[in-house]
Amino acid sequence: MRFRFLFCAVFTATTLVLSHSGNACAEWLQDVDAGIFYDSNLSRAPTPPDERADTALDVSAALGRLFAPTSNDLLAVTAFARADWYQRYTGLDVVALGVRAHWRHKFAVGYDAPWLAVALDGSRDDYRDTLRDSRRLELKAELGRRFTPVLDGAFGVALDRRYDNNGTPVVPDIPGDVFNLRGVSGDVRLGYAITDAWLLGARAAVRRGDVESTAQPSLPIFLASSAIAEDHVFGGDDLYAYRLRGTTWTAALSASLALDDRTSLNFSFAGERTNAAYGLQYSSRVAGLLLAYRP
Amino acid sequence: MTCIRSFAVRALAVGLALASSCARAEGTTIAATVTDMKGKPVADAVVVAIPADGASKPAAKSREATIDQIDLEFVPRVLAISVGTPVTFPNHDRVRHHVYSFSPAKRFELPLYSGMPAQAVVFDQPGVVVLGCNIHDWMISYVYVSESPYYAKTGPDGRATINELPSRAYVVRVWHPELEGPEEGTRRNVDTSRSARADVAWQVDLRPEMKVRRAPAAGRGSRY
Repeated sequence: MRFRFLFCAVFTATTLVLSHSGNACAEWLQDVDAGIFYDSNLSRAPTPPDERADTALDVSAALGRLFAPTSNDLLAVTAFARADWYQRYTGLDVVALGVRAHWRHKFAVGYDAPWLAVALDGSRDDYRDTLRDSRRLELKAELGRRFTPVLDGAFGVALDRRYDNNGTPVVPDIPGDVFNLRGVSGDVRLGYAITDAWLLGARAAVRRGDVESTAQPSLPIFLASSAIAEDHVFGGDDLYAYRLRGTTWTAALSASLALDDRTSLNFSFAGERTNAAYGLQYSSRVAGLLLAYRP
Repeated sequence: MTCIRSFAVRALAVGLALASSCARAEGTTIAATVTDMKGKPVADAVVVAIPADGASKPAAKSREATIDQIDLEFVPRVLAISVGTPVTFPNHDRVRHHVYSFSPAKRFELPLYSGMPAQAVVFDQPGVVVLGCNIHDWMISYVYVSESPYYAKTGPDGRATINELPSRAYVVRVWHPELEGPEEGTRRNVDTSRSARADVAWQVDLRPEMKVRRAPAAGRGSRY
């Protein structure tokens, strides 16, 4: 209910902002990204037999308006759409529609002035597999600075919430809403432009909260779970989706090659490890290649 | 009669010589060529001729110069002006800009504006002034404020010509935003009193410009 209210409020505000095209002080924001990525453990399974890897095509587009209400403040309001198509596990194919509001305040004048940014994202994710249909909300605050024209860094904290009520309980007294998740995270990132064209990035993040894992039944995972549902996305009848409480560590590296002022080719690699109760652990590696275009 | 004719011929010769000397006195030229270490022409290099005796003709009342803002960039990237020149900063974008400089030669801000700012900015100290926009961090421009009225900027062919120079000895220097080392290191002595045209060439070492990247990077949110 809260999500619906927030989503409607942000969506209405976005529509109003986007339709207010007569404001000469506002700038159009248009982003188009397309690429592929590979995930070594889509199922986030704790044991290799249950791990499922796949490659997906990812396309996203965003349209928004950027306002500069003062010399030190920027407000961007954007509507976005994203679609993923998986090669093998097509139940994970998703179309997401959402809105994003992003405000940034610079504490002084100059490219090297420190800044504070707050972003609110809301989306509705429609999967081919209905178990995963959900609505997402993320609130993130970031403090950053460009130290030199070629080196910048930021530290952020985020609250994320995913609302789902699609899973059917399979165990009495244990709910089936495995994708009803919440978490809090922090991250630090650095960017360094080694040439005019190449920008390298590094990011480290930690998240504490609910995670989802699809695996065969076992005592530890059963004891650690707060929700269980049947999951047919990865084939077979012996896999179940579980909601666990865990801590996830992420380390990511990226390289962005500017093709011109508006286009870049982006390579990324991320390693992720989650530790949950009862010694449960799972890890995954995600690699991606993406073309980003900002007309 | 012969004496009168001889005098007339001499007077004519002296007159012509004087006229020629006067013409050269205000009409010599320095033709400069600037290339990088690979021999490629360097555009946007400022070539400045400073009278070796330090006495330069005071600059005529400087005409107004302009730095536009077009497609979220400053145009031109390098502007060469004399001390005391007023510069206007018309904004031809549909968004507002906030132009600033923290350079010692000229500190100023033109807070968030669109269209034409109310007043021109007068650059009253010699030196290099680096301009930025507080909204669009990648926007950068350089104003070279010259103490000498004799300067020119190279074009895409790396060539620049300083015309109408009084005939005398000069110290000529080159400045470029990417110049490795100080401007003083490019110093050359050129004497235009011996010839109406002096050709001077520089091969300069350039380092990549320290500039905020404009191109997007995936996963970093808005490019701002």
